Amino acid sequence: MQHRTVLVAFILLLSGAMVQVSAQDRPKFHAPVLITSAGQSADVTLAGSLCKKAGIEARVIAAATAADLKGFKTLMIVAGFSSKGLGAAGTSREQELERVMKIIAAAQEAKLPILTLHIGGKARRGTQSDDFNRIASEAGRYILVVKQGNDDGFFTKIAGDRKTPIEVVEKIAGVVAPLSAAFK
Amino acid sequence: MKAGISAKQHVKSGIVAMHHMRAVGFLVVAAALCVAASADFLAMWSPDEFHPSPALTRIDSLSRYCPSLRGTRADTRIFVYEGAASGPTLLVLGGTHPNEPAGFMAATVLLENIIIRTGRVFIIPQACASGFTCTDPLEGSPQTFSLQTQSGKRIFRFGGRAANVVDQWPDPLVYLHYPSGQQLSGNETRNLNRAYPGRQDGSLTEQTAFAIVSLIREEHVDLAVDLHEAAPEIPIINAIVTHEKGRELAANAVLNLEFENLQFALELSPANFHGLSHREWGDWTPVIPFLMETSNPIQGRLRGTTSEQLIVDGVDPWYLIAGRLGTMRITYDEAGESLSGRVGRHLQALRALVDVYNEEHPDSALVLEGLPGYGELTARGVHQYLR
Repeated sequence: MQHRTVLVAFILLLSGAMVQVSAQDRPKFHAPVLITSAGQSADVTLAGSLCKKAGIEARVIAAATAADLKGFKTLMIVAGFSSKGLGAAGTSREQELERVMKIIAAAQEAKLPILTLHIGGKARRGTQSDDFNRIASEAGRYILVVKQGNDDGFFTKIAGDRKTPIEVVEKIAGVVAPLSAAFK
Repeated sequence: MKAGISAKQHVKSGIVAMHHMRAVGFLVVAAALCVAASADFLAMWSPDEFHPSPALTRIDSLSRYCPSLRGTRADTRIFVYEGAASGPTLLVLGGTHPNEPAGFMAATVLLENIIIRTGRVFIIPQACASGFTCTDPLEGSPQTFSLQTQSGKRIFRFGGRAANVVDQWPDPLVYLHYPSGQQLSGNETRNLNRAYPGRQDGSLTEQTAFAIVSLIREEHVDLAVDLHEAAPEIPIINAIVTHEKGRELAANAVLNLEFENLQFALELSPANFHGLSHREWGDWTPVIPFLMETSNPIQGRLRGTTSEQLIVDGVDPWYLIAGRLGTMRITYDEAGESLSGRVGRHLQALRALVDVYNEEHPDSALVLEGLPGYGELTARGVHQYLR
């Protein structure tokens, strides 16, 4: 049993590693970018700063709706739950889940590519966050994750299952280079 | 017959006398225990000592901003530092919750080491001074902790989360926050960080909050930071909580801190949760407010022995197990969460906020020196930065 678990874990790890994207395989995205949250963590603000540093034209609307998609060429979803963030947005967890699913559906209908970002590390994992993390990752055409949030292979497994290119970076600051390359 | 009654009476009176003696004995023991307990209780009324850096301009009292606080145990010292040239004003609060020692100690290290070139800094190390005069019931907390500094052993008080009931009593069943009308449990009426913006004629805690908000207004404070701690299992730890006014500034500070290998989560202040510093300071005054949280095992529900050592070393075997089981949102290993590291986090983050503020306001910078950072504090220990 134990050997089988190890073997499965190894295969999962390998499949995860296989979808680790190389520079030439990295999908291409176009600006302007609408950055929204999945879970209302303030990481959405950090994503705005990262885009600024990467020289990408972007606008942050933490609680964006389908109507806000107009005029944008990419939807960036920043995954991670925050109870304080929900309070700041004046919404509930259920309402937030519904909003995220609706904006994903609208983006897919409008053929707008989705880039998923998870930069909050362990603080944005766990039961409350993982529903948002899963929804956002499953919808992403490309997933960018800071390593600490992927210690258990949560994101690499989703990426492996869906053959989605994924890049795992060591630190938040490490997001800038692949992000910038994805918009070149 | 007579002799029999007399013998019975004799026995009865002997028993009564024995009862009396026993009762007196109990009273004496109870009185002795009361004296010992009250001596212990009153020991917490002695103020802590601070040794401000030579840059100190003056020491004020909070009652300057709300005279009704004068003579009460809620009045507290404000250490004011003014640079040679004008610049922005920073307010730093420690001890809003006296059972969160890293906030209090970070403010203390700051006031004992600061060198200021431009601008002004107001430091209140014990914002809820009344809360430093007692511990929380049923927590088994130590009343003090000590550090071996260059000048000898220094003892600091470890208080409770809120103001002492002796100073503000009784608690209502339901606490109605002024002016929002928000309802919280009755004991929160003594929690300074549920009392902002406060009121001049309110409870002692509301008066304290009013005085701090008045200080921010009257002294034209530009940046204000409230230093806190929380249990390691709480989601909001190693975090900077910001009012929407400071969102960009805090985001850039968090990124800069990450370049310095220090991870902080960024959290937004909920607009509909009233009474908190990061909400009400920002709503009622022009200041950009922040609240910072570090991870403090002595506040946690999983903790084992609740001791002075746990405050200082932050090593707890039960949290180690939780860490190994992967149930913690932070890395908790054999190194624990030491007071030095927690103070270092606060000071490094404070420096990052000031640096970003200065980048955004190059014509009016707050130039501070002498602040040890996370690396220095963890390498040398917080005791090395106390005079």
